[in-house]
Amino acid sequence: MTHVLRSLAVAALVAASLPALAATSIKATVNGMVCAFCAQGIEKRLSRLPASQAVFVDLKRKVVVVEAKEGQTLDEKTITAEITDSGYDVVKLETIAQSVAEFKAGAKGRK
Amino acid sequence: MSKAAARLSCATLALAASLVGAAPMGFKDSTMAMVDLGPDWKEVWVNHAFTARDAVGAGAIAMRSEDGARKRTLLEANYTRLLSRWNLPEAQANVWLFAGVGGIRGNDFSGTRFALAPGIQVDYETTRVYAAVTGRLYRAEDLNHDYASVRLGFSLYEADYDEVQPWIVVEARRMRNLSEKTEITPLLRLVHKRFFVEAGVNNSRQARATLMYVF
Repeated sequence: MTHVLRSLAVAALVAASLPALAATSIKATVNGMVCAFCAQGIEKRLSRLPASQAVFVDLKRKVVVVEAKEGQTLDEKTITAEITDSGYDVVKLETIAQSVAEFKAGAKGRK
Repeated sequence: MSKAAARLSCATLALAASLVGAAPMGFKDSTMAMVDLGPDWKEVWVNHAFTARDAVGAGAIAMRSEDGARKRTLLEANYTRLLSRWNLPEAQANVWLFAGVGGIRGNDFSGTRFALAPGIQVDYETTRVYAAVTGRLYRAEDLNHDYASVRLGFSLYEADYDEVQPWIVVEARRMRNLSEKTEITPLLRLVHKRFFVEAGVNNSRQARATLMYVF
């Protein structure tokens, strides 16, 4: 019993010391985004995706960042289709190990 | 139909065309609503984008002459088609087609007159510059008018997606057989991701305000 409790305590200490799993997002470079009123469709459509945790539209850098919910995966084809149905063209997709909040903070720091 | 009444009817149709120039439809599966208010005309329309390039809708206009004696109401069903779009790294350009069909009623004639209004618009926009050219034909019994407008605008500064961005836009328009002069309207435009607002006063000292919203 003491051995079991000791093992559990060690496991708990090890788990607490591990870094939190990094958030995963897909960053899309998009052509045609010149107007917030017109680009709102991107945010609205991507926010409705079941695996979508948060969405960030950056008109100045022409990118859209979609953060995945913990434990879920974002489908690149679906994201491309939603942006296309919003009226824009995706020219590049990449996966980044950042949450939307982290990306926004980094973007503000680069201003 | 008297000349004054004909001009009034035509102005009603022409007004509907000029307001389309701002943003004629939303994204796929969205519904866009617009309200335009002025001393002599009030307009409301709504359209639904059933694809990324097609929208159908309906609109209503209530208009009166300057002396308040003559009144018109127009009900219109319309179709908007995004014919071509160029999404560039720093700009967007579009060619739109419009098709309207409706009926006009007035307090000085009986019945409803059937009207058709096909048109085209070409526009170009960056985050700082906007330009649009619009032309529409209007055909109704005893009415045969062409309409053309040019809009040029610039933004005072570039804004983030969730900020309000102010623009200065100037519109020049002519309406055949309606007016001898070119109407010039400077407008202040405020654009946010949730709403689009314009307000201005034309060279006849008439104020105008427009609000658009996408659901």
